[in-house]
Amino acid sequence: MQTQRRRFLRRAGTFAFTILAGALPYSLARFMAPVRRIDPTQQLALPGALPDWRAFRAACIGCGMCGEVCPPRCIQFHRNDGGLAVNTPFINPQVKACTLCGKCMEVCPTDALTVTPREKVNMGVAQIDRAGCYPWIDQGICGACVSACPLGTKAIRFEMWNQYRPVVERGCVGCGVCVEVCPHPSLPIRIANRGQGAIVQHPV
Amino acid sequence: MTRQTIDSASGWRHLNKVRWLTLVLVFALLIILPFFHVYQTYVAAHAYDLLAPGERKLYDIIETLTAPFVDDPSRDLDVIKGNTWSGRLFGVKMSDPLAVAGQMAAGRNVYNPFLLTALFPVVATLIFGRFFCGWLCPANLLYELNTNLRILLGRFGVRTGRRCLDPKLKYIVLGVGLLICGISGSVLVAAVYPPAILGRELYYAVAQRGMGGGALFFVATVLFDLLVARRGFCRYLCPGGALYSLLGRFRVLRIQRNVVTCNDCTKCNSVCEFGLNPLRDDFGQECNNCTACIAVCPVDALGFRWRITDTPNQGPGHESPRYRRDHKDKRQVFGNANSKA
Repeated sequence: MQTQRRRFLRRAGTFAFTILAGALPYSLARFMAPVRRIDPTQQLALPGALPDWRAFRAACIGCGMCGEVCPPRCIQFHRNDGGLAVNTPFINPQVKACTLCGKCMEVCPTDALTVTPREKVNMGVAQIDRAGCYPWIDQGICGACVSACPLGTKAIRFEMWNQYRPVVERGCVGCGVCVEVCPHPSLPIRIANRGQGAIVQHPV
Repeated sequence: MTRQTIDSASGWRHLNKVRWLTLVLVFALLIILPFFHVYQTYVAAHAYDLLAPGERKLYDIIETLTAPFVDDPSRDLDVIKGNTWSGRLFGVKMSDPLAVAGQMAAGRNVYNPFLLTALFPVVATLIFGRFFCGWLCPANLLYELNTNLRILLGRFGVRTGRRCLDPKLKYIVLGVGLLICGISGSVLVAAVYPPAILGRELYYAVAQRGMGGGALFFVATVLFDLLVARRGFCRYLCPGGALYSLLGRFRVLRIQRNVVTCNDCTKCNSVCEFGLNPLRDDFGQECNNCTACIAVCPVDALGFRWRITDTPNQGPGHESPRYRRDHKDKRQVFGNANSKA
């Protein structure tokens, strides 16, 4: 009895040690890896999503199919975070922006995403901080946002009197490609709610 | 003379191998499909030349695998998408009935196109019972391997849990889960349903940046099975299993025992993952038609019949020593069942 117990304890000890020794490097690597915090204010709803985020949360079943068909792989999921919105998708244009291809709306089995023509999509509106954008402060020429916009001049164009100053138009649906390509480190262009307007209002 | 073989001694016993094949196939698809997705996005972006050499090898392998079936990877690989929770198979969208129930409870409305996606699974469940659990569920593969692990651990003298709880507990879990869905306005049953968790987390692991919190929950269920009750989660706690059990209560295709050929060896009872009692014809709504008992039966006494109820207990098998001792004189009634020699 005594020897059996001792043998069992030794086996259990070896077992536990093996598991721990295997898990240790992995967990250390995970622990020390730099964490890039996602800016929660820059989490966009998917194109064609229900406008009310509560309704969207209730309708989404978290199957992940929208992410699985997304060609630019811009759709991310609340994996650990998000509370009740866990496993629901979002887009962070600072990481990767939507190209308005419409595959996610087509594949969604629920009413969370409805098929919407790209001009009618409402993810927000691009907002330009004229105190940060290179051409607006006469620090050079750029035009990255204008040339990358999937909707063309209906959404963003150059200002009439200066060939490189971008101006957001009414057609902007807030896909965020301009945010993705913006070369300025402080990202003077961002996606805001439609009511907030296309020009940053500075408190100062 | 041959034994009376009205329904038994057919090919049913090979179904268990087919079942393992389906289980492995479904699980493999859950891993392969995200890789296909990552690959097809690279094809769509013409980014193959930008890949690192190691990644390029992986994509060469994927390309070789898919080349016979696919002309344009960026589009053709869309035909099979998703997982067992909700997916698209050659243009047909199908969803788990629990997904529909949870979504209806959370949104408190009915969205008909989504309701339709559960039509095929529901009809199949009405006919074949809880077959999803035994034949398709990706978690079931791991849980059954976990059962083998507990046998292995038992050989090394490690104690594993053998508690028995009430199978009706899972109906409470289902009811409370749907209630919580309704109160919170979020499809939270998806977070405690292992096949949904596995499909999602495998996708996250391959195509997103690592697994989420659901993986921890799944590991907890595996430990529960190992340390508390054999296949405890499926039998006592799984909300989806509860829904499938309810739908499959009057399933048309049932495993039944041919009492004439049964020899009461009890192998069916010990092999049953769900702790049912095939030896005494007690299958009930918990049975998932997994055919493990059919495969293990040495005399082919178990097989499928088209009936909507189980036969009431037919008593001891006519080939059992006890029955033969008791009925020595009346044996001829059952034909030539005893003329083995």
